[in-house]
Amino acid sequence: MKGKTTMKRLVIALSLLLLVLGAVPVQAATPLETVRTEVNKVLEVLRNKSLKEEAKREKLRVLYNVMFDQEELSRWCLGRNWNKLSEAQRKEFLPLFQQVLEKTYGDRVLAYSDEKIHFDREVPIAKNRVEVQTRVVTTKSKEVPFNYRVFLDKSGTWKVYDVVVENVSLVMNYRSQFNEILAKNDPEELLSILRKKVKGQKT
Amino acid sequence: MKFLSLVLALCASVLVGCAHGPQALSAPMPGGETPLPSTQAVASYSLEQHPASLQLAKDEAASPATAGKPEEKAEEKAEDDESDFDYGMEDVPAAEQVTIADPWEPFNRAMFTFNDRLYFWVLKPVAEGYSAVVPEPARVSVGNFFSNLRAPIRFANCLLQAQFIGAATELFRFMLNSTIGLAGLFDPAGGEEINLVRQDEDFGQTLGSYGTGQGFYIVWPLLGPSSPRDTVGMVGDFFSYPLSYLDPWYVWSGVRGYQAINDTSLQIGDYEAIKEAAIDPYLSVRNAYIQYRQKKVEERGATIRRPGPDIPGAGTPARGIGP
Repeated sequence: MKGKTTMKRLVIALSLLLLVLGAVPVQAATPLETVRTEVNKVLEVLRNKSLKEEAKREKLRVLYNVMFDQEELSRWCLGRNWNKLSEAQRKEFLPLFQQVLEKTYGDRVLAYSDEKIHFDREVPIAKNRVEVQTRVVTTKSKEVPFNYRVFLDKSGTWKVYDVVVENVSLVMNYRSQFNEILAKNDPEELLSILRKKVKGQKT
Repeated sequence: MKFLSLVLALCASVLVGCAHGPQALSAPMPGGETPLPSTQAVASYSLEQHPASLQLAKDEAASPATAGKPEEKAEEKAEDDESDFDYGMEDVPAAEQVTIADPWEPFNRAMFTFNDRLYFWVLKPVAEGYSAVVPEPARVSVGNFFSNLRAPIRFANCLLQAQFIGAATELFRFMLNSTIGLAGLFDPAGGEEINLVRQDEDFGQTLGSYGTGQGFYIVWPLLGPSSPRDTVGMVGDFFSYPLSYLDPWYVWSGVRGYQAINDTSLQIGDYEAIKEAAIDPYLSVRNAYIQYRQKKVEERGATIRRPGPDIPGAGTPARGIGP
């Protein structure tokens, strides 16, 4: 008898809980867990020996779009210069810049496979911005600190907007270049440099 | 065998040209010490130690664009209000906001091109030939060997920065690696069990920790990115590196050249990737170099031990401080 009521209570409590859970959008995984899951997916692709290089690239591209927020990343790279670009120029900039990153980092990442990755910790940067610190242990038994900066996007997912390798921030590195280029040229010139670069990479 | 001697001869001849000067000082350590890949690879001789001058400046403030044109500034400000988030520098750690004066830019760009060619035309082909003959574990060991010999540099600079635990770490590492590590060929001290991590301190960082700024950017032929401060640093380290005292000079040059080739062989592809990713490789390397050096100065003593283990959702210690 007693057992039954407890059971009943439990059922009620559980359904209430479910109701509550259903109302709130599923709370995002922690930044570290998000990064870990996504990086592991990347490693899986890299270690899959049955895939051809093109197929791997395609899969990596999909994973990149899940993991990174290209617009946020681009805004950080351009800094205040973002405002110098017209709406149309921004539209063109995003995919161009993504192609530059994809090509170069794709090449680099494809060369990896046996690396071991330690996911160490998360360090808050600002509200809804966290740095996930990892270390890549290469086959040469070298450790490379590899940190991902993530932010909570509108849909409640943690997305990467900067990668800091060996203490060098990718975003700040591009920002220094864009700053200098845009100090002397207009945005149209920057776009044409990017177009040329993408074209050059394809051939 | 023939090939090897050819390679050695080649590197010796390359080096002879540059035998004078402090280049010797800074050998990047292979094995593990390697820092910023790009730079190192470029000059392959030691970039670790040359720093560039970092001048901290909010990057916006420093950028000539905004400084020069007040009206534009006002305009931008107005536009800024439209965006909901400020992509300025507020959330960015100081180390990354670093910019550096570059009054020698034309000279530096010429030297950058020179080093770039030297890498692609000489160093890389030689290093590739060398890797084809010598298996990777052997090259890693050679790297460890040279790295171990640089212990006096790291020890001295830990002391100069009053990092006594760091100095003790270097001392123990040297004793262990020189004995059980078979004259430094292996790095048992740095293994998971003993976990004494190498303390990458050099004289440039020591000067930085005393508050010396980088000054301005310099690209040296062969040596790569540097600054007045880090150049002085290289010279200082030169004297605490035992191999600098090799005599006669051609023995020293040969050893130094071999070291450069061995180091390069362990990081082929790093420089290429950085160059490929850059919109303007010169600017990219310059920025990477100053970010890297600035961070090194800021986080001194932070790497006595490896960061914590792999804990899911682990805690959140203060930024830049060790476990």
